[in-house]
Amino acid sequence: MSARDRIDIDPPYDYPAYKSTILRSPKQPLLRVAPHPMEATGPVFPRKFVTDSEADLTTWGKGAPLGEKMILTGRVTDEDGAPVRNSLLELWQCNSSGRYAHPVDQHDAPLDPNFLGQGKVLTGDKGEYRFVTIKPGAYPWKNHPWAWRPAHIHLSLFGNAYSQRLVTQLFFPGDPLLPIDPIFNSVPDESARQRMVCELDLEHGIEEVALGYRFDIVLRGVKSTPMGV
Amino acid sequence: MAIRTPSQTIGPFFHVGLKWEAGEKVAFESPGGRVILTGRVHDGAGNPSADALIETWQAGPDGRAPVPGSAARVTGYSRAATDADGRYTIETVMPGACTGADGKKLPPQIHVTIFARGLLKALRTRVFLAEPAAIKGDPLARAAGPRVGTLIALRDAKDSGTWRWDVRFQGKDETAFIEI
Ligand SMILES: [Fe+2]
Repeated sequence: MSARDRIDIDPPYDYPAYKSTILRSPKQPLLRVAPHPMEATGPVFPRKFVTDSEADLTTWGKGAPLGEKMILTGRVTDEDGAPVRNSLLELWQCNSSGRYAHPVDQHDAPLDPNFLGQGKVLTGDKGEYRFVTIKPGAYPWKNHPWAWRPAHIHLSLFGNAYSQRLVTQLFFPGDPLLPIDPIFNSVPDESARQRMVCELDLEHGIEEVALGYRFDIVLRGVKSTPMGV
Repeated sequence: MAIRTPSQTIGPFFHVGLKWEAGEKVAFESPGGRVILTGRVHDGAGNPSADALIETWQAGPDGRAPVPGSAARVTGYSRAATDADGRYTIETVMPGACTGADGKKLPPQIHVTIFARGLLKALRTRVFLAEPAAIKGDPLARAAGPRVGTLIALRDAKDSGTWRWDVRFQGKDETAFIEI
């Protein structure tokens, strides 16, 4: 927990309901040490690092992917409300039937030759971003009986400083699998969990083509330091 | 103050979205001494972690934050997924000495962020590319105390440009991770 958090925002490392944490969570407490000067700096991604087409996951193949087309928009800010500009945002997800285009994924659901499930953008001057994609499906994952991940999109953010780096997941409102998903529920605080649920946003959809969803992302401030240092 | 967005695991399928062209080769605008940092990631049972992602950030050879280059690449930052043996390899240059808050020079170190299936939030630490005697005064070396050995890369006996550093999530010789 960062000194500036009044509640536990992030999940713990040790969360046995998610079995893979059992052998991978450190048992020793994290060391608290004065920040290194490089932690307040961070990589700068040149505009050429991304191409415009990487914001649209539905035009990658020869035809349109199967599924419910959606437009995902939002803003990236820090916890003081300042926009996080020109910052890399990467996205990956399974297809509409719940299958990743990944060799390790053995789920018996069809691959979609027109859907790869990867995208990336740089945020704009107000921290804004926009992706066009399809709504991902739920999939089983063997963690426990009837373990099915709720529909989710993986997101990776760099912010503007090394200390702001975040990987998270976006979930959909009203999903009946949310209350029984150990990964979603590893976040202890209800209001923090709701940060990971996007909102239906018709204003940014395209009538009769694609629903809009809004997902604002809040990164820690650059100046926050560990407790007691 | 707004509530932050919580961290979630990267899961086992991150390669779909997080592959960079030559991501394990760190680019810099100015040249420096070539360094290979390589090692394995192990879980608490001693098994290799084949689905971890190592990212590094470091000062350039001049000890300053890397400046953006003219190419379509990012400078100073790397990303390498572990293979079936849990091995990662990063090709970079020796980081220069940064100046700490107290005005003293800090020994060469690389900032490491580790993501994996089973990690609900990233693990962060730093690895020293220096002999143990050269890091005694470093604030992290002091904070790590008897665990400092888990943060020192070992120079390969045959190839002085290669440094070996393993990560252990838990168990004996658990890597000293830091809060940042
Ligand atoms: Fe997933």
